[in-house]
Amino acid sequence: MTDTATIEETDVNVDQSAKEAYFTAGQGQLIWSRFKKQRAAMVGAGVLILLVLSGLFAPFLTPYDPTIEGRNADYQNGAPNIPKFWDENGFSFRPFIYTYERTRSIETNFRWVTKVNRDKRRYVVLFPEGDKYTLAGITFRTHLFGVDEGKIHLFGTDATGKDIYSRTFHSINTSLAVGTIGVLIAFVLALIIGGVSGYYGGWTDSVLQMITDAVRTVPAIPLFMAIAAFIPDTVSSEGRFFIISIILGFIGWPTLARRVRTHLLTERNQEYVLAAQLCGASPGHIIGRHLLPSFTSYIIVDLIISFPYMVLSETALSFIGLGLKEPVNSLGVMLQNVTKADVLLNYQWNFIPVIFFIVLVLAFVFVGDGLRDAADPYADTKK
Amino acid sequence: MFHFLQFAATRAALAIITLIMVSFIVFSLMELVPGDCAERYLAFKNTQGSQISVADIEAERVRLGLDKPYVVRWGKWIVNAFRGEFGDSCILRLNISQLLGEKFYISLAICLTSLLIAYLIAIPVGIISATSKSPIVNNSLRLVSYLGLAMPNFLLALMIMLFSTIVFGDSLTGLFSKEFRDAAWSYERLMDFLSRAWLPVFILGWSATAFAIQTVRALMSDEVGKLYVLAASARGVTGRRLLWRYPARHSLGPIINSLGFDLNRIFNELPIVALILTLTEAGSLLIEALARSNDQQMAGAIIFLLTASIVGINFVTDIILALTDPRVRRSILG
Repeated sequence: MTDTATIEETDVNVDQSAKEAYFTAGQGQLIWSRFKKQRAAMVGAGVLILLVLSGLFAPFLTPYDPTIEGRNADYQNGAPNIPKFWDENGFSFRPFIYTYERTRSIETNFRWVTKVNRDKRRYVVLFPEGDKYTLAGITFRTHLFGVDEGKIHLFGTDATGKDIYSRTFHSINTSLAVGTIGVLIAFVLALIIGGVSGYYGGWTDSVLQMITDAVRTVPAIPLFMAIAAFIPDTVSSEGRFFIISIILGFIGWPTLARRVRTHLLTERNQEYVLAAQLCGASPGHIIGRHLLPSFTSYIIVDLIISFPYMVLSETALSFIGLGLKEPVNSLGVMLQNVTKADVLLNYQWNFIPVIFFIVLVLAFVFVGDGLRDAADPYADTKK
Repeated sequence: MFHFLQFAATRAALAIITLIMVSFIVFSLMELVPGDCAERYLAFKNTQGSQISVADIEAERVRLGLDKPYVVRWGKWIVNAFRGEFGDSCILRLNISQLLGEKFYISLAICLTSLLIAYLIAIPVGIISATSKSPIVNNSLRLVSYLGLAMPNFLLALMIMLFSTIVFGDSLTGLFSKEFRDAAWSYERLMDFLSRAWLPVFILGWSATAFAIQTVRALMSDEVGKLYVLAASARGVTGRRLLWRYPARHSLGPIINSLGFDLNRIFNELPIVALILTLTEAGSLLIEALARSNDQQMAGAIIFLLTASIVGINFVTDIILALTDPRVRRSILG
């Protein structure tokens, strides 16, 4: 009898402390505890962190420079090299690939032909010295892996001999950077326009809403294709990168602005706003200090949800040749030449980066969805 | 009836105001292009061997009316645009309406068909997934719609091209076979068109369907739990009849309302899909005008027409909504 009583008592205690924790938890803790329960979102978050890290450390993780500097002139349109442990010549503890030799003779009709020399092995080595790169302001030469002689191309090479593996990782970096800048610009625009529109209401709101609606009616991609088409060719690739990010920011703002406005419209009649107004606070102060914090979590969720669309828009723009250009690496740039019949028939490894991007976008969608559910304060009561 | 006409008239006026604002955006963009039509035309003549002087360019400008103030030219452009006249293309020196004509209708037909198919699939599937308790159905539907969201149409188009090139040895591109490309419409040409048009329709419909399923699902799961549904089932209405007559009817309004934005989303993807599948319609003309020839007149006309069809759809859906939703109907019919 006493045993069960104590057990019950501790149960109650646990229950009590859990409840107490629940009621005293901050917004962030509540969201996190709800987010943790969703398996798909957690997996998505894991994959996302992995991809972001691999994008950030791309120069170290990849063996070669992704630009024309790091190209392998002897191995153009080369098939992926898959490291092996054994073949007919025996087993090796160190993974190896074969040597490719380019020959041209009367037998090959004087064309360059790549031949595999199965007798010459190239062993995979860790931390070799290779192309120079800068990470966090320091210049390094060490890469994660490479081969002792010649070069290794895990995903093959493109028409100019650039390593697709290296380019893929670097392009994750580019996509994330473009997305971040784009989202930030969209965010600032949405806050200003949505904030003003929602706080003042009345005819300011009507006019701003009409403009927002008109902008929303125009199909964004064709419109921004038009803007991107007017970037002069003389702009450097870095300049282009920033212009494209700004354009992407302009794509995203109307939806976000509408959300901000709706939230402000419902919040601005609350008593704490009136209190602040009576204390003589300026509208900017009230919007920034009192109103926006009341739905920060929604804004963050919206930003994360709009992120993959930025990335995909950039890819689409670059793909049709209006976005980023060489030597900047991005998925769209890499896919520019793959619609040729030659590539479709013979060099399918050019499509490998697509897989990474679908995973990246899916991870973002999962995390965004999970966060949206987690940030919804009524999620628990609904079910 | 009077109220209804009043409502329709207000909506029409709003639509026209939106179009005027859009035309301002488009026209300003066209003006931002470095170099104008006169320079471009004479530069072209220059390459043909004739000598061009500054006076020639000025004369051409006067001929095209480019010397007039900005607002006057905008006014002229918009008046003509509402009549369906967009002047001559800068590069090709041909009438844009003639160049576009059929191609624009083909694009519109392809987009509207994919939108229709998207909702034909999404409405039953969305209702099932909102009401079904089976985790297998729910999770697989979720996966499909996630794939639709994460796999943008142009990547899907690339993948289908890759797949069909490897398997069938044909990349399935283009809208017409060679022999029908410039032929007049006939039964054979229509059949040839249909045998090729299903692919762009499928690709454009792909993510539209995913979006539509999500919308229908969200709306339905909001409505299913409401009290009026419970009340109806307490009165003995069950099964499909319950779903169709109560929550489904209720969630129809927002769906009709969102059609315009769905079309917007499809138009977003159209040029890129058109480029990949080498379709000869308005989307690829737009890319050509922007990326290759810098033909601002043509690009402006296409963007304006695309937007105009979205505004048109929005207007029609507003009217349909007013007719089908008793609450809106009552408020405007008095």
